[in-house]
Amino acid sequence: MSGINYSKLSILIVDDFSSFRNTVNGMLTGLGVERIEMAASADEAIGWCRNHFFDLVLCDYNLGTGRTGQHVLEELRYRKLITRQTLFLIVSAESSRTIVMCAYDCEPDDFLMKPINARMLQQRMDRLLRQRQILTPVYKALDEQNYSKAMELLIDLSLAEDRHSAIAQKLLGSLFVNQGEFDKAEKLYTRALEVRQLDWARLGLARVKQARGELELAGNWLEKIVDDNPLFLPAYDVLAENWNKQGESYNVQFTVQRAVDISPMSILRQKHLASVARDNNDLITALDAQRRSVKLGRLSCHGRADDHFNFARLASLAVERQIDVDPNISNEALAVLDSAKENYSLSEAQQAQCNLLAGRIHALEKRPDIAEQFFEAAQEFMVNVPLDIDVEIDRVTALLAMNKKQQAEELLEELKVTFANDQHALEKLDRFLSEPASDSNREFVAAINHEGIELYNQGAFDDALACFERARKLFPKHVGIQLNIVQALIGKLKSGSSDNIVINECRNSLQLVSTLIDEEHPQFDRFSRLKTMANSAML
Amino acid sequence: MSEANTIDFSLVLASSVHDMKNSVGMLLASLESVIEDTPPTNEIQARRFSTLHYEASRINSELIQLLTIYRMQNEFLPVHVDEHYVIDILEDQIARNHMLMETKGVSVALDCDHDLNWYFDHDLLGSVVHNILVNCVRYTNTAIRISASVDNDLLCISIADDGPGYPPEMLCRPAGAVEDAEVSKGGTHLGLYFAEKIAGFHRQHNRTGYIDLYNGEPLGGGVFKVYIP
Repeated sequence: MSGINYSKLSILIVDDFSSFRNTVNGMLTGLGVERIEMAASADEAIGWCRNHFFDLVLCDYNLGTGRTGQHVLEELRYRKLITRQTLFLIVSAESSRTIVMCAYDCEPDDFLMKPINARMLQQRMDRLLRQRQILTPVYKALDEQNYSKAMELLIDLSLAEDRHSAIAQKLLGSLFVNQGEFDKAEKLYTRALEVRQLDWARLGLARVKQARGELELAGNWLEKIVDDNPLFLPAYDVLAENWNKQGESYNVQFTVQRAVDISPMSILRQKHLASVARDNNDLITALDAQRRSVKLGRLSCHGRADDHFNFARLASLAVERQIDVDPNISNEALAVLDSAKENYSLSEAQQAQCNLLAGRIHALEKRPDIAEQFFEAAQEFMVNVPLDIDVEIDRVTALLAMNKKQQAEELLEELKVTFANDQHALEKLDRFLSEPASDSNREFVAAINHEGIELYNQGAFDDALACFERARKLFPKHVGIQLNIVQALIGKLKSGSSDNIVINECRNSLQLVSTLIDEEHPQFDRFSRLKTMANSAML
Repeated sequence: MSEANTIDFSLVLASSVHDMKNSVGMLLASLESVIEDTPPTNEIQARRFSTLHYEASRINSELIQLLTIYRMQNEFLPVHVDEHYVIDILEDQIARNHMLMETKGVSVALDCDHDLNWYFDHDLLGSVVHNILVNCVRYTNTAIRISASVDNDLLCISIADDGPGYPPEMLCRPAGAVEDAEVSKGGTHLGLYFAEKIAGFHRQHNRTGYIDLYNGEPLGGGVFKVYIP
């Protein structure tokens, strides 16, 4: 068949069983391969790739130590230890079906199912190496970021109508999208779809629609794709992004959750789920996803000490808000913090965070002395650390947990001044302030308030309330928003809906405001007026 | 037995099938290297090797089927239809079973245009071909012929042999009628059930894949055909 010079190839065999390594070694030697290396574990394999170029890596899926061939590939690509020039084949005794799910995230060049023999191996290698030969100029152009050249080459290849045209079309389509050539991308995908309803082409077309801002249409198409093929993970990722662009954070969470249910081993999706659920105040889901991220991080190159910290933050928040979680959650969080120390070499800033978080947890568990010790230890680390908003926020929350309200307020005021020119930092502070300090959040609150007031004026009290609630979620201490809620509730009561739920909400909101303001507050008059109105409306 | 116990059992079964499959895989690989290192020196030895190899292959392919069916039922069988070259999957399966055919002394002819491409799930259709091929090696006398072509806008892969052909009771039933009950009853026809399910996963413009069986041309024995829209 081939014209492939096997003697020139360098190949790495990765398998935890020596008998399999030797068998494959024998097969490859028989084919004339002269440079063959062998590795028995994921670490060994990664070590080899650090210093050597391989044309091909034949890697078993199950490597015995917990890490899989998928982890190896993920890490090699992540650390840029292999380029597109290295072909990566996963060899597995399992049906490739079970591993195909996680493979969507980091796709190997091919799967081979055990048992394999020399003939099968040669056939696969011939095909893949030929394909690589043909795509090499494209990869070279891509590596040089010469995209117009890459496109030119890919156009020729995709018009050739041979066995390489399909892969060229796929590459070309995503290149068009990434380069903003939407008309060309659309044409390519549409033409592919004339022949067949292929998932990759449908997804490509949806991405084009999304990039053009036709979010609703893109969303409909994406829903259709996942309906037809519920296991096609890339479609969920684009769909989640689509909801995100529409500002529908609950739908983002729901979509990521669906993908995570199908492929629970993907650490990046678990982290994404934890973060959107956190933003949606769904702490139970967030905790669960963050717990899994910590666990998956032990084997993955995407594991971070921050995953441990985030778990501790979520756990503390759950305790503070008295959410119905495992009563042992604080101990679990402390253990997770300890394991961050064991598994990662922490920077001083991270050491500080770790101690602040431990202090916060001990304070919440009514162990003020221990909390104080951790807080002190953290302060010592912070002496040498350049100012960092994330560390500071952990300090604020620790102080609040330790009931040092005064100190926390002072620190917040100080931070507002220090970070006055850092909008990103101010956004992070907003959560703790009564008025947003960042421009973006100020605009957001203004816009949402405006929209809510519009709706209120039209008598659409429920819609107005929904608006204000969205703002309140972000700024629980914002008096103006709270009062708007009270006002909308009064409107609702006056329009004749006098059920107890509304009355209770109204009462609770007023109660909350009274803890936030005093007579000096510029909104105090409005507050008094609304209180009177409410009292008469609630009668 | 409570419902919970039934569910547990199917899970246990699936995972032990999985283990068995791995062991049989090892067994097959070792067997192949033994045969390669010490080729049979006489007729009797060759037959023994062939029996060993055939039985192991058969167990292997049945276990794969069992697992796939388990996944089908638990809705965890991703079907990933994409464009593939038909000759690739046929050559893969011939290569996979090359040793089996050699020890049995069966010759295989492949008739497929190198440029013939179609849309299907590579792994699933591959396992259908593998399974029929292993079966053919068992029943044929000397030859197997695999061909592929497009017929009325359907891809047709045909696997024929010169053996005694399919028994009449397998032929009388109309195409597309391997019943679930038939399989659970006798444990036979599992391969056909599997093939038909896989064919059925392939749909295009209201047309669904199916299988067909008959005896006769081109080699005078059984002919298995799978049609993919």
